[in-house]
Amino acid sequence: MKLPNYNQRLLSMETRTKRFMLGAVAVMLLVLAMIAAKQDYFSRSTAIYFFTPNAQGLSKGMAVKFIGFKVGSVKEINMEPNATVRVKVSLDDEYVHLIGQDAKARLVKEALVGESVVEIIPGSQQVRQVSQNSVLEFERGQDASTVVENLASQLQPILSDIHQITSSGDIQQTLKNLNQASGTFRQTVNEYTQLGANGNKAMEHINSSMETLDKAIPKLVDKADATLDNVQAATADIKKITSDSAGEIPSLVRNANALVQDGQETLGGVKRSWLLNSLFTAPEEQSLPVDGYVAPTQP
Amino acid sequence: MGARSTVSILCSLVLLTACGTVDEVRSARLEQATEFNQRGQRAFQRGEYQAAATLYEQALQIDVAIENESGIAINTLNLARVNQVLGKTALAQRLLDHLLEDKALRYAPAHLAEAAAQKALLRLQENDTAGAALWADKAGAYCESDCRIAGVIDNVRAGIALRANDADKALQLSERALSANSDVPLERANALRLMASAKLIKNEAAAALSLAEEALVIDKSLGLPEKIRQDLLLSAQAHEKLGQAELAVQCRDRAARIAATALK
Repeated sequence: MKLPNYNQRLLSMETRTKRFMLGAVAVMLLVLAMIAAKQDYFSRSTAIYFFTPNAQGLSKGMAVKFIGFKVGSVKEINMEPNATVRVKVSLDDEYVHLIGQDAKARLVKEALVGESVVEIIPGSQQVRQVSQNSVLEFERGQDASTVVENLASQLQPILSDIHQITSSGDIQQTLKNLNQASGTFRQTVNEYTQLGANGNKAMEHINSSMETLDKAIPKLVDKADATLDNVQAATADIKKITSDSAGEIPSLVRNANALVQDGQETLGGVKRSWLLNSLFTAPEEQSLPVDGYVAPTQP
Repeated sequence: MGARSTVSILCSLVLLTACGTVDEVRSARLEQATEFNQRGQRAFQRGEYQAAATLYEQALQIDVAIENESGIAINTLNLARVNQVLGKTALAQRLLDHLLEDKALRYAPAHLAEAAAQKALLRLQENDTAGAALWADKAGAYCESDCRIAGVIDNVRAGIALRANDADKALQLSERALSANSDVPLERANALRLMASAKLIKNEAAAALSLAEEALVIDKSLGLPEKIRQDLLLSAQAHEKLGQAELAVQCRDRAARIAATALK
């Protein structure tokens, strides 16, 4: 048996095992360092709080944004003894000076189908900046489904009003009355021209028609007033809904647009990536094929 | 160093190189011009020639602004082609002249060959056979060894020979064009049509009919109304020469229906 050779191989194996272990430890340390960096262990931060009646839509690790930039994250969500929810937010120190004590925290959805974030709504510039353990006021922003639900619930009574106006018979009755009055009047005028000599009789007809008109007109005016009141009420409701939703709809549209843009950029990035770029050839300008035939003038 | 280590290092290097591979940088303007060009192509294929002209103009404007020589040549050629289809032959000629007489920029010979061939076709359309022959020769001169429009030039020359009633020369050139354009259906159909015309001149009506019908099948597959009409008219002439008056009338009737749609 070649013992020295065996020992040499054993030594070599031991060295390689040591190297492997060292490498593995180094990789583990690197991963831990990366996780720590991701969890903001290396950055100085300030903890602030807000309270909310329920924790719906909130989650640990959720991004906290200020004017569109990520400035921190949600660290803890705890239920208080009085059944409210206390949310601890960690803000990067470099942004703290921008946030006043009167700033608000608002839970919003980034896009129609995007994830929720806590957005810090800036307060007044003059107020002192937030400090460790400051408490911010909290509110929930409306998401797409809420806006649509609100819109639907507010439209419902208007649609009922319109249905009532059109089906109650006011309009039909008004038109019927007008038609009847004008018919009677036309008949009277005809009789008056045809029976010039028999003036008394015609005059009687005119008188009776005028009486009919006298009776009909106040009714018509009343009904027209009622109809106009209903229309005005409906218009006021529509105006209210429009003004209520005006703030939300443009942001929804903007968010949807941003989402589409993000999607396009992501797709573009994927297309350009090393693994897939051979599958998507970049389009180039192309010329039309030359058509080498001219039809004879007289075929 | 062991073989395994060498292989590992080589693999890593290959991967690193691959990751470092960067796509050719294309400016946003160039991409915009490409988009206009492609939309123009689609409009042309759908027969929306005015829309295609507008889109090619927009692409050309951007290409001129960023001095993209290839794009300038391509979109000028496309604009000339579309104007030719729209019947604006004078404008088409001017566009081609700009390209052929441009001293400031250098265009690829392939593009210049296409411009000269189009110019020849425009001259032929105006019954200027001498001018057409001159430009066909120029197109041939621009054409290099692997010229992709060699078959087109042969068809143009065959067309010129037909106008001069030289059926033999037309037949010879169109047969050459047919073999050169085996993978280009548009030019194959053109060659077949020219051969049919030459056969008609030579009073070989049966052969002419067969060629026209072959061209008709291709043109129908390409969806080209004007070409289908030409094939039908050639078939009608062949039927007449064969004494099949009824079939000739049928073909003319079919051609007239296509003409009535005013689609090109």
